[in-house]
Amino acid sequence: MKQFIRKADIILFAVLVVIGLAASAALSLSHSAAGGDAKVVIESGGDLYATYPLSEDRVIIVPAPKQNKTDAPSVSSDEPASAQYDYYNVVTVSGGAVSVTEASCKNQICVKHGSISAAGESIVCLPNRLVVRIEAGQKGGGYDSVTS
Amino acid sequence: MTQSPRKSGSAAHRQTNRSGRISASFIARVGLMASLALIFSYVEAIIPYNPGVPGIKLGIANVVTVVALYKFGAKDAAAVSVIRVVLAGLLFNGVFGMLYALAGAIVSLTGMILLKKTGLFSVTGVSMAAGVLHNLGQLFVAAALIEDLRIFFYFPVLMFSGIAAGILVGIASALALRALR
Repeated sequence: MKQFIRKADIILFAVLVVIGLAASAALSLSHSAAGGDAKVVIESGGDLYATYPLSEDRVIIVPAPKQNKTDAPSVSSDEPASAQYDYYNVVTVSGGAVSVTEASCKNQICVKHGSISAAGESIVCLPNRLVVRIEAGQKGGGYDSVTS
Repeated sequence: MTQSPRKSGSAAHRQTNRSGRISASFIARVGLMASLALIFSYVEAIIPYNPGVPGIKLGIANVVTVVALYKFGAKDAAAVSVIRVVLAGLLFNGVFGMLYALAGAIVSLTGMILLKKTGLFSVTGVSMAAGVLHNLGQLFVAAALIEDLRIFFYFPVLMFSGIAAGILVGIASALALRALR
């Protein structure tokens, strides 16, 4: 009969758990409170899309890089985003927190992610290649940048 | 116990016949295992459960890959895994999901084959490593596609979920292999 668990398995398990714990500890340290002039950075398709101050409430419709509709979208804030674009995310900044409130994608992971408010946190939508993150401001006392 | 003469010895595990082409038994074997794995993928796709964090999946279809690796070798396991991922991608997960899964499958297969060769690890250990490698492979593709290393915030989550899923798949594979002996 084959052994289910050997000594090497337990060592490997311990090593993997330690790496995981170390990574989560390192990441939780890199999260810092957002300062007064923290920025909301939105990236679409790997490029910078827009930057807004975290302190101002607003709703941003971010079209994804890929679109089916050939006609130019009618840019009107009255219309819902789904009427303007095939692929999009709606990012809402409200009361110092950022959330993705609407997304065209099937899995809705970015919407379920909830809101973020600390510098270094991010929301990612893989189908639309969107990254929303918070960067600490100059006076915020946070890190200048976060390397992972 | 009756054993058919074709299954005895190493002949049944041979992938190519004398002329160097892929043998019919290899095609039949891989086809059967790939369809079994695809059914596992389907069962997993229709079970409605939401762990709350993206990227967490049990991956029960990988039981077939692990069994194929231990019972028939690396070539069978690779063929079954790639066929299953491509078909499941077309049927359930979409092309983007397929890209992630393919990267994960290739990384975890390579890791499994290498770890099995060391002879130090049990089926459970190899599968655990494969679970972790599968998630890391997907993470690297995601990082490359999204061009932002911040996605590595998911690293610990994927690490632990990979360990858990890998152990469960490994135990299931070990039981299946014991029954198949």
